[in-house]
Amino acid sequence: MFCFQCEQTSRVDGVAGCASAKGVCGKDETTADLQDVLIHLLKGIGQYSTRLHQLGQPDNAADSFIMYGLFTTLTNVNFNRAVFMELIPEAARIRDRLRAAYEAAAAKAGQTAAQLSGPAQFQPADNLAGLLAQAQIASVRHGVEIVGEDVIGLRALILYGLKGVAAYAHHAEVLGQANEEIYAGIAHALDFLAGEPVDVAAMLDEAMALGRLNYTVMQTLDAANTGNFGAPAPTEVLTTPVAGKAILVSGHDLRDLHNILEATKDKGINVYTHGEMLPAHGYPKLHAYPHLAGNYGGAWQNQQSEFAAFPGPIVMTSNCLIEPQPSYRNRIFTAGPVGWPGIRHIKNDDYSQVVQAAQAMPGFTEAAPEKKVLVGFGHETLMGAAGAVVDAVKSGAIKHFFVIGGCDGAAPGRNYYTDFADHAPKDAMVLTLGCGKYRFNTHDFGTIGGLPRLLDVGQCNDTYSALQIALALAKTFECGVNDLPLSLIVSWFEQKAAAVLLTLLALGVRNVRLGPSLPAFLTPALLGVLVEKFGVQPITTADADISAALNRQAA
Amino acid sequence: MVVTLVTRDAARLEFPCASGQDVLGAAEAAGLYPPAMCHEGSCGMCQARVVEGAYEMGPHTESAMPAGPGGVLLCRCLPQGDVTIELPCTDAQVGRHKIPVREAEIEAMAQAGAGAVALTLRLRPDAELGLAVDFIPGQYMELTILGTETRRAYSLANLPNWEGRLDFIIRLQPGGAFSSWLGERAAVGDVLNVRGPLGHFVLDESSPRPRCLVGGGCGMAPLLSMLRHMADFQDSQPVHLIYGANREDELLPAEELDALRAALPQLGVTLSVWRPGPGWTGFSGTSADALDAYLATAAETPDIYVCGPPRMMEAVMSTAQRRGVPEAQIFAERVQS
Repeated sequence: MFCFQCEQTSRVDGVAGCASAKGVCGKDETTADLQDVLIHLLKGIGQYSTRLHQLGQPDNAADSFIMYGLFTTLTNVNFNRAVFMELIPEAARIRDRLRAAYEAAAAKAGQTAAQLSGPAQFQPADNLAGLLAQAQIASVRHGVEIVGEDVIGLRALILYGLKGVAAYAHHAEVLGQANEEIYAGIAHALDFLAGEPVDVAAMLDEAMALGRLNYTVMQTLDAANTGNFGAPAPTEVLTTPVAGKAILVSGHDLRDLHNILEATKDKGINVYTHGEMLPAHGYPKLHAYPHLAGNYGGAWQNQQSEFAAFPGPIVMTSNCLIEPQPSYRNRIFTAGPVGWPGIRHIKNDDYSQVVQAAQAMPGFTEAAPEKKVLVGFGHETLMGAAGAVVDAVKSGAIKHFFVIGGCDGAAPGRNYYTDFADHAPKDAMVLTLGCGKYRFNTHDFGTIGGLPRLLDVGQCNDTYSALQIALALAKTFECGVNDLPLSLIVSWFEQKAAAVLLTLLALGVRNVRLGPSLPAFLTPALLGVLVEKFGVQPITTADADISAALNRQAA
Repeated sequence: MVVTLVTRDAARLEFPCASGQDVLGAAEAAGLYPPAMCHEGSCGMCQARVVEGAYEMGPHTESAMPAGPGGVLLCRCLPQGDVTIELPCTDAQVGRHKIPVREAEIEAMAQAGAGAVALTLRLRPDAELGLAVDFIPGQYMELTILGTETRRAYSLANLPNWEGRLDFIIRLQPGGAFSSWLGERAAVGDVLNVRGPLGHFVLDESSPRPRCLVGGGCGMAPLLSMLRHMADFQDSQPVHLIYGANREDELLPAEELDALRAALPQLGVTLSVWRPGPGWTGFSGTSADALDAYLATAAETPDIYVCGPPRMMEAVMSTAQRRGVPEAQIFAERVQS
């Protein structure tokens, strides 16, 4: 096993990467190795899919499988070895189907089919021991002694960014939104990686192309979410329980939440959101369900004590899942790409067992004194308020915008983001997204120019909304995004944040503050490129970075 | 050495810690579960502050360490004497293995092979737990006859559920206090006290190895629960069941196994009868003999889960050891004989 895809990867004695029997996240060596083999096969599918797209004969079912397969390998998504023992042969079957389709399509077009090598020809063993013996060839560090650390790091940046793209694309697809550009783009990136690239400039170009693709994907996901559930509107969300039976829904998948709301309709069960599901309350068609009662708990890393104390079943619709404690093992369910051995998985949107568990459990016996947070500042709402914002900027009421967004995590260094939000000057507006917001979203930020000073833009993928706002402001003030009094403070943890970072870089957004620690797969030389070419900066202290951001703008 | 954890709301949790043991391991051994994730000094979840006493830190990721004096990760903190440690969480956030005691009514009793009773209990709703039957397949419950001191531990044969249902298979011991009550006086509607779940005899679901389940007498109950769990979760791990009895009529009804075979296509079964009657076509011998025959041809050394009366257990364990199965791959639960 070797894995360094997330922010919390082991750095014992200065050596980066999880390489023992179990990663920091709890993923065991067997599962990690099987995920490497699956990705290797997905590259093989990507090789043929790319050529089928070029021939105008795409196989979108295969492309969907790629997205789902990549999603299962994200941090804190699927830890269930058995799932990969099924996905690997399925991937090989799909790859072989595409090979035959490609050869037929090429012949029909009067072309000679290319003889593809590498993952296109890889034959996975039909048993666990054989697969584990093959895993070395599929490792992210395969070939490092020949190509060197910089090449391995850049390939990893592309692969991890691609995983994030695939996760967003999957969320959009299950809501009925997908398109050729996305399918072909994801296949292309896998095809690129299958070729074991070594040219640094070409890889940087590919990373930027992936960043642009992710912009399209986030836009598509935004269209899927708003198309199905309406444009988010400012909404107060109860963060305290009400009396009654209860179900907790975590993760990012709004479709799953919607299905759970339907399955619990008129059953006397209240549904609570958790973690990244909080922004769901802002969507009018979800908010309309009277039993969508509120939000419970904070960011993902607190789930063990929060889930243990929740008096009902819990559904994980995507990351982040961590090892379920014995006290709630039997009442936590996984859905979609998520999995853990011995934890019940929901298939075909059948939530009957979750409903049964909620009815059998006591729920909250009494309501707690009410507390609320405000969500729902998507691009539509903010565009509606654009006039007021522009006036506030012109009058000097708003002097700066900070976007403090991204993931939360357990590392002590993440207090930086709390300090940053709390210490930002009162004439600065703070926009937030992702689960990092739980560090400060209950604090009182007051108002500015008649608007709340803290605006919750949504989930991590709603970076799209934040970018729309930035672009609109830049247009109004007839300048570039980098000329705006705007700073992006990005906290990363898993691979969707890597995709978002690539998008920001591809769009030419400079001076992004990245933390709490830098990705372990970025070598000093690669970091040098990011700093020099894109102005990416590691975080220092909150106060120093606030002052640097304000001074940059003054300068 | 004694470790004292002080929570943010000033609860003091004391437990012993052995030399060379880390604080988190000692806390968990004492049934206390402070928030923690990787147990490897890297995630930063179990950060805390030593305010008194000497300690050393094992290998860890520097960025996971809390800043300031006394900052430690519980999973890597090795006390060198008594220590007092401040936790950044409240007492309620420290997990505990609570062992609930509840009341249950007898819902059904039926014969389960010669000399054994299949007992079904229904829990009465509980304010905190509702009707949830929460356990890990392989665990057991302590049953107490109301108004008496008669208490026995029996493994659950069914699956965790939300209907309050508890299934047991109980071998009647001639002259035994619980057996006499169950065999002669117990009636549907009678109430028992139920304490549990208890026990650590559970599947190691992170192990990549095939599983071999060996049961004798009433040792089938926890193994049935494990197999039903595997079936319910469509667990594709290779699994073989060796089920031993003295006589054919002590075996469970065949339909139980047929249902499992249908749900678990990879399930292999050896029925072994020690003293079979004429016409028995299955394996003749003890379950240890059957295990010996199975291991002789097994392609990969399996994890062995064994449950049964003491003499059967000893024979099975010595067979496994003789066949070179590492001790860490043998999971055992003794049943009352």
